[in-house]
Amino acid sequence: MRWRYPWLILLPLLLLAALFLLQGPAWGNGYLLSRRLWRLGAMLLAALCVALSSIVFQTLSGNRVLSPAVMGYEAAYGLGQALMVLVGGALGVVQPGMAGGFLLSLGWVLGYAWLLQRWLGRASLRLEQYLLLGLVLGMVMDTFAQFARFGASPGEFAVLQGLTYSSFNRVTPQALLYAAAPVALAALWLYRRRAELDVLLLGREQATALGVDYLRCQRRYLALAAVLAAICTSLVGPTAFMGVLVANLAYAIAGSSRHTLTMPLGSALALLLFLLAQWLVEHVFNYRTTVGILVNLLCGVYLLALLLRRKGFA
Amino acid sequence: MISVHALSHHYVGRTVLSGIDTVFPTGKFSALIGANGAGKSTLLMLMARQLQPAAGELRLAGMPLSQLTVRQFAQQVATLRQFPDFRLRLTLEELVAFGRYPHSQGRLGPADKAAVDDAIDYLGLASLRGRYVDELSGGQRQLAFLAMTIAQQTPLLLLDEPLNNLDIRHAIDIMRALRRLCDERGCTVIMVIHDINLAANYADHIVAMKHGRVYASGEVAEVMQSALLGEVFGLDFEVQRQHGGYVCNYFTYR
Amino acid sequence: MRLMLIAIVLLGGLSLSLGSQTLQWADVLAGREDTWLTLQASRLPRLLALLLAGSGLAVCGVILQHMVRNRFVEPGTTGGLEAAKLGMLVSLVLLPDAGLLPRMVLAMLCCLLAGLLLVMLLRRMPVHGQTLVPVVGLLYGAVLAALAEFYAYRHHLLQDMQGWLLGDFSRVLAGQYELLYLIVPATVLAYVYARRFTVMGMGEQMASALGLGYAATLGLGLLLVAMVVAATVITVGAIPFVGLVVPNLVAMRYGENLERTLPLVAGGGALLLLLCDVVGRVLMHPFEVPIALTAGGLGGLVFVYLILRGGPR
Repeated sequence: MRWRYPWLILLPLLLLAALFLLQGPAWGNGYLLSRRLWRLGAMLLAALCVALSSIVFQTLSGNRVLSPAVMGYEAAYGLGQALMVLVGGALGVVQPGMAGGFLLSLGWVLGYAWLLQRWLGRASLRLEQYLLLGLVLGMVMDTFAQFARFGASPGEFAVLQGLTYSSFNRVTPQALLYAAAPVALAALWLYRRRAELDVLLLGREQATALGVDYLRCQRRYLALAAVLAAICTSLVGPTAFMGVLVANLAYAIAGSSRHTLTMPLGSALALLLFLLAQWLVEHVFNYRTTVGILVNLLCGVYLLALLLRRKGFA
Repeated sequence: MISVHALSHHYVGRTVLSGIDTVFPTGKFSALIGANGAGKSTLLMLMARQLQPAAGELRLAGMPLSQLTVRQFAQQVATLRQFPDFRLRLTLEELVAFGRYPHSQGRLGPADKAAVDDAIDYLGLASLRGRYVDELSGGQRQLAFLAMTIAQQTPLLLLDEPLNNLDIRHAIDIMRALRRLCDERGCTVIMVIHDINLAANYADHIVAMKHGRVYASGEVAEVMQSALLGEVFGLDFEVQRQHGGYVCNYFTYR
Repeated sequence: MRLMLIAIVLLGGLSLSLGSQTLQWADVLAGREDTWLTLQASRLPRLLALLLAGSGLAVCGVILQHMVRNRFVEPGTTGGLEAAKLGMLVSLVLLPDAGLLPRMVLAMLCCLLAGLLLVMLLRRMPVHGQTLVPVVGLLYGAVLAALAEFYAYRHHLLQDMQGWLLGDFSRVLAGQYELLYLIVPATVLAYVYARRFTVMGMGEQMASALGLGYAATLGLGLLLVAMVVAATVITVGAIPFVGLVVPNLVAMRYGENLERTLPLVAGGGALLLLLCDVVGRVLMHPFEVPIALTAGGLGGLVFVYLILRGGPR
């Protein structure tokens, strides 16, 4: 079963990428063009992270309205940023796109994910309980981050506020290079294991019956989804439930649940969405809104429609 | 084929199985019967390695289950549970191909494709092979899952109440297919079943459970006794033999 | 119940006497004017606001939990807070000069609409997916928040909006918290109709079979919740977890018959909030930690404990 119309995605993708690179002052300006190329690279990496982590996460949880964001990774990121401001002040803000800040933030989020996962193994929680745990911890961290943000001066606040939306402007080439290798490896590995992921779709019991060590897989893939989500968040900021949108669009367009189709398609769609939002911000809204806010809004509306339309979602 | 030795199991503080010892004969169709909560499904899930026993041991052809890897086990034992709802976008053929995963790890060779075709034909599903599983009727879907289990080509099949919510036509289709698997291919089939009449007429061997213990087991004729079944279910039973088959009357109000 | 009342009185007294200038009870009895002024203008309103908000939020939580038949739901996990926020935002932009009341009405309307939509969503959800209801609710809240942020960013109101989110009682003075009195009729109404909510908790079909007007009860419940949430968000801000933790603790011990447990839930909510308030004021005296923070921390801990214990049953 092959999806027959790849050009339906690829054509607008190429068009928007070309527009992004060439429309406006970047045309003929070597420096601006290279800046835009780096940003395109960041978009590509983020798109891979968002799509793959969400699809894997949804496969494991057997639920199509989840994304790794519910595990509180993004809340951890927000708290980390706020703490950095509290400790270092406005000048001490290490922006996530810069290499040092990127690594620091990545370490912080991964540390949280690791602690959470330790809990999963030790207390032998069911996956739902584990999700709920992440959700609650995320809520707590959100509250604390808000407090820290509230205590910040307006200048610091503006900086922090900016960090709570995804944006590609802050990504530095160095951070991008650090992120590229693990993301590429993860993507390759996931694609090679697509058959196993398909089997996991059938649920714990049937997957076990087909000779898959479910618990080990669950731990492994959850860890991988956490790493991808952490990289993405640390690189470009939170993407909230964009992953839900991208994954569901991919399922709908592919007309199949098989990962061999949904994973590449989801990644392409994520990139398309980023480019589209960027183009809208630049040329329709004239920078009166940000890519992050726009992506949130677009995804939010779609998500609501999705929830309303589907009779039952499991 | 599979034997159970002093097996016990409990969920949080409640004993579900205690001291089970029984053997399921090779190449035969065995039915597990008993009231709700008697421990039938738990026993089946322990055999399928979906649960770990609290005490006791299970052996597959003399080999303790715990010594097999998950994959080795899946090459010898196929398990089918119920799918109350199924929302994946997969065609019937894709679903059946999952049955080859223990052998192929996802890379289907010619032998795997032949096994898939064979399983689909075996259940007469050829006309549905391109259809999406979530669009099939309940009975067709259950047949599709059975086809996946058959494609696994294991000597032992474990089924947990595969007839629930099926109309009599599909129920009989499934029972006949399982009967043929035993007769034509020498498979061992073990199923949890509530319909005592179907069990009596299609199975070779019956294990009757009550309160977490094996109450009786043996050939169909040995277990299909009015007094014995009356004890197992706590009902008045009247087992009648008609035209070479069994009919149990437990409906009559007295 | 009696223990709870005593605890409330004790903590209430403590809360009254705490503050940047320590209250001397002897002065109060002696009738000193400036002490009385502090008491009347700031301490007493604060205590009342705490009690009202605490009991109101807990009652809201329990009503919501019965309505969507899920133990993990509260205004904070179902988009109620975000909806109220959105309503306030709209009122700030459209009616910049309006007083508290029109704003409150708008916030309430938004809350009500959002609640209706959510209940419609959740009723389509299969029963076995119940653990995920709060996740869906949270997503829903995030969608509303995205909408609010989009709107706020265009009107340069982002930091203001952040402020409302964070529950804080230090701003409560006489003349600014009276909207909270709306919680009293709401709670009384909830108590009067308690039996209906209990029946509703058994599901629509069961409720109809027992002769309950499902739609009417649903509407009433949502209205009560919207009223309480809008009133608290406008006067003191958002406070997480109270609506979640208290009903769960009470249900574990005393079951789910609302007629019997509602007073306990209300009292428990007030008690928890008082406790959080006192802790928040003692922790960094003479500064105080906003109550959203102490409630978030304390409530979060209790909730994590509940989950690890195998989940509220």
